[in-house]
Amino acid sequence: MMDTDDIARTARRAAAACAGLDASAAARRLAEDGILGLLAPEEVGGLGLPLSMAAPVVAAGAAELLPFPLTEALLLARLLGRSAPDTATAIVEGREVATIAWRGALRAEGSGVLHGTVGRAPMAGEARWLVAALEEGGAALIDLRAASGSVTVEEDMSSLDLERPAALVTLRGVPAAQRIPAGADWSALLADAQLLRAAEMLGSGEHCMETAIAHITERRAFGRPLVANQGLRFELARHKLALENAKHALDHALAVAGQDPHGQSIARLVARATAAEAGPMLCEGAIQLHGGMGFTWDVPMHRHLRRVRDAAAQCDAIGARAALAARVDEPAENEQGWAA
Amino acid sequence: MDSAALNALASSDPAAYRRAIRDWIATNLPPAWRSDAIDKVDPTLEELKDWEARMYRAGLWGAAWPKEYGGHGLTLREHLIVSQEVGRVPMPESVNSIGKELAGPIILAIGTEEQKKRFIPAILEMREIWCQGFSEPEAGSDLAGLRTRATHDGKVWRINGQKIWTSGGWRAQRCLLLARTGTLEDRHKGLALFALRMDAPGVTVQRIKQIDGEAEFAQVFFDNAPVEEIDALGAPNEGWKAAVRVLEIERATNRMYRAWRLENELRHLVSACRADPNLATLLSDPAYAQRLAQFRIEVEVLKRYVEGAVEDLVSGGSIGARGSLMKLHWSEAHQRFVALAMELLNQASLPPPPEVRAAQRRFRKAYMRARAETIYAGTSQIQLGIIADRILRLPRAA
Ligand SMILES: Cc1cc2nc3c(=O)[nH]c(=O)nc-3n(C[C@H](O)[C@H](O)[C@H](O)COP(=O)(O)OP(=O)(O)OC[C@H]3O[C@@H](n4cnc5c(N)ncnc54)[C@H](O)[C@@H]3O)c2cc1C
Repeated sequence: MMDTDDIARTARRAAAACAGLDASAAARRLAEDGILGLLAPEEVGGLGLPLSMAAPVVAAGAAELLPFPLTEALLLARLLGRSAPDTATAIVEGREVATIAWRGALRAEGSGVLHGTVGRAPMAGEARWLVAALEEGGAALIDLRAASGSVTVEEDMSSLDLERPAALVTLRGVPAAQRIPAGADWSALLADAQLLRAAEMLGSGEHCMETAIAHITERRAFGRPLVANQGLRFELARHKLALENAKHALDHALAVAGQDPHGQSIARLVARATAAEAGPMLCEGAIQLHGGMGFTWDVPMHRHLRRVRDAAAQCDAIGARAALAARVDEPAENEQGWAA
Repeated sequence: MDSAALNALASSDPAAYRRAIRDWIATNLPPAWRSDAIDKVDPTLEELKDWEARMYRAGLWGAAWPKEYGGHGLTLREHLIVSQEVGRVPMPESVNSIGKELAGPIILAIGTEEQKKRFIPAILEMREIWCQGFSEPEAGSDLAGLRTRATHDGKVWRINGQKIWTSGGWRAQRCLLLARTGTLEDRHKGLALFALRMDAPGVTVQRIKQIDGEAEFAQVFFDNAPVEEIDALGAPNEGWKAAVRVLEIERATNRMYRAWRLENELRHLVSACRADPNLATLLSDPAYAQRLAQFRIEVEVLKRYVEGAVEDLVSGGSIGARGSLMKLHWSEAHQRFVALAMELLNQASLPPPPEVRAAQRRFRKAYMRARAETIYAGTSQIQLGIIADRILRLPRAA
């Protein structure tokens, strides 16, 4: 049995090997190491591991700027494991690419065919499968390939991500390949996606911070290494604090994720808010510490920032705090048993 | 329930252990001593000493200390449970936290058997209150520049010099004193720790009035004050190492209840606001709601650090520099929170309901006190430096 560190190392290597590949090729490469089935049930070739094992994997993918919708694949392989085992198996084996539209909902009309536009679907242009929410609740699995005549895929201009360009997908009367009922599985997917996004942000953020430290250690100005300046050291210390705060919050949320099927825990809100603020701060801070170099296209810091900004928008620190504010004096989940 | 019965519960039924501690506090803490009491009464020093001695006898102090020195022989996990329960109730702060949380652990770590037998029970039974004599007028952040000298006259150590900002120096029987046995140029070398008697000849204490109106801290002058050989702690040149350890404890596990007490402050503020029509409206104002939720987030994060530190220590790890992350985090978060509390409570209806007046009294004090939180136990700048040097391991200037 692999431990978390082994899995993270394997994922890091596999993700590095995916540089420059398209989504289908990346899926095949990731499947070679069994990465896409981490969360999926064993019946579809998965490992059935808890969410906490997936977090270091998506973090490693983030550090390597993995050009693949990994969070989506991991969660869909789990979600569809029982309801659409063939699709789940194809995802786990890296034969087919699946993605999720994270914004908007489709309308089911008359005979049940789907209409409307959904957004924030990473790499939908390269995916066979799309899962999108329905206005009536729950979601639908859509075979984009089979429906190609009634589907338009355009660039989603609200996104910054370069490796996993987000798409707006418009459907005009497309039947669902599978209905996913509103219920525990679907809400768990939505809530768990937030924690994996948090892990991705921290993976990118930590990588950027380390790169910035290496840069200011190397570079000299005013007759000494930049890192000797207290102003920069203190700033990095604050970055480290934000990172550690968010990691502590995320580790706890992951540890208690299984006890919280509807994804409503205070621990999750805390993890969302802390990561959604630490991630952008670390990446933007690293760009600043690179000076003019940080503004160049070739230095990949901006790629991290782009991904992190997209994730932060979805983790929505303001929304998480607003939800928490309504429950600000509620005991935390792990403390509820303490009530007198 | 006596402490033996309570301690037996710790391993057999942790939930019952927690309940027993909670019940004991609920039964024994005078309601008027609570910081959220509408008719609050400040206990006297004698009452507080008695209260803490009773807490000890009931099993609430010394949980993790060895039985042979009067402790209850449990682990830091039980100390955490006690701390959580102590934190949830706004009871008076310990008047001997330096004895219990700094001197005690360091004596247990580096003291002789005789010292452990003599000092530890006296701390738990509240016979000896301790203060911490580290800072000096010319050595605060730059502690290694301290000048108070300890010279051996053939019979005893003789202390000459001055300490300042010594919390509780005026009520202490013992001082955990850091003094120089070598020369000033030796810096970190040539420092030693002592357990100085505050009633020794040549020790003079002057209280200093603080911005919150209290005079908790003091300056302490030493004019050839004697320290017996048996009261020297650790080797004469190992003082710095021991002092660093004291400071690490001070930042990481000291007042382990803090996260839960801060949560109690948040609850108190919210419940006071709900009791006032003006303030109740403000609670749902998005600007205030965001800041209140942010503090809850910061409290939850602090809990995670504390729980993580306890688990690491129980499994044999060391505290290390992580306390600097914790200290920087909570002190700044708390300062923001008490400022928020003042902003809210300033907008109370007139006349304010009694719950609101009680909260105003609590947070007015807390607001002024909080200014010290980014100064004592190493200023925020010093914590940032430690994080940069020892956690991030950033190279120093070449
Ligand atoms: C309420 C209270 C209780 C205290 N109790 C005790 C006690 O019981 N025992 C005890 O020994 N001490 C105690 N102290 C003292 C406390 O530890 C010192 O005040 C603290 O270490 C700062 O030292 P200083 O006051 O000399 O300030 P300084 O060291 O003179 O610092 C002044 C300012 O300069 C900054 N600064 C200093 N060095 C650097 C640097 N290298 N880089 C960047 N900025 C820097 C500091 O952060 C601070 O903002 C207490 C202090 C307070 C406020």
